[in-house]
Amino acid sequence: MQLEYFQLVDRILDLNTEAKTITVEAQVPKANTIFEGHFPGYPLMPGVLLIESMAQSSGWLLLGLMKFERMPFLAAVKEAKMRGFVSPGELLNIEVKLVHEGSGYAVTDARVKVGGKLRCNATMMFSHIPFPNPDLRGHMDAMAKRIGFPQQVLLQ
Amino acid sequence: MPSTFDQVATIIAETCDIQRDTITPDSHAIDDLGIDSLDFLDIAFAIDKAFGIKLPLEKWTQEVNDGKATTEQYFVLKNLCARIDELVAAKTAGA
Repeated sequence: MQLEYFQLVDRILDLNTEAKTITVEAQVPKANTIFEGHFPGYPLMPGVLLIESMAQSSGWLLLGLMKFERMPFLAAVKEAKMRGFVSPGELLNIEVKLVHEGSGYAVTDARVKVGGKLRCNATMMFSHIPFPNPDLRGHMDAMAKRIGFPQQVLLQ
Repeated sequence: MPSTFDQVATIIAETCDIQRDTITPDSHAIDDLGIDSLDFLDIAFAIDKAFGIKLPLEKWTQEVNDGKATTEQYFVLKNLCARIDELVAAKTAGA
């Protein structure tokens, strides 16, 4: 997890295009300036960043399902629940399932677990459009390589 | 069984917090009810789920942008409901 660059997903563990699910890992850094303010003397991973981690995980699932032909953008967060604190240094296991594939939009359910225990979950809606420019596409390709996006998915 | 319009009007009322009795078959979702694109995504999701269809929003938007269709054809509720009925019928015929 590179919070400075808003890169919250470290590794794709599994991407199943038939079940339309993805599982990723994200290591919360042990130290970061964010924790100095959130909160002084009691550092916690901010809920908005946990939501972002679920959004990015959902995004990788959608990119895989759409074979990198379109880019998803977060449109709405529904029913987000922060069920337990996440502390610096904890390893997040994020599971996402596609709930609905609409015309130009998609809905996912995402869950963040630590040590097998649910810490937060949300239902999220994304709009998706063709990649707006080659730079973004190139950036996403490089990122996909870095986090172990299973390239065979694109050949299916 | 409620009509397509009744179902759609209830979805719009609940999704967008609009009083149900202000929604009529002649209401234009955008011009009269003030529904924006994000709220319409929510409505499309609810309609897709309720009717087991996939509203072709992108195709409709493209047709409007290209001047091949007017927003009234898709977003006046009686017309929207007619499209939903067509999609449901097509799905039933294909099943």
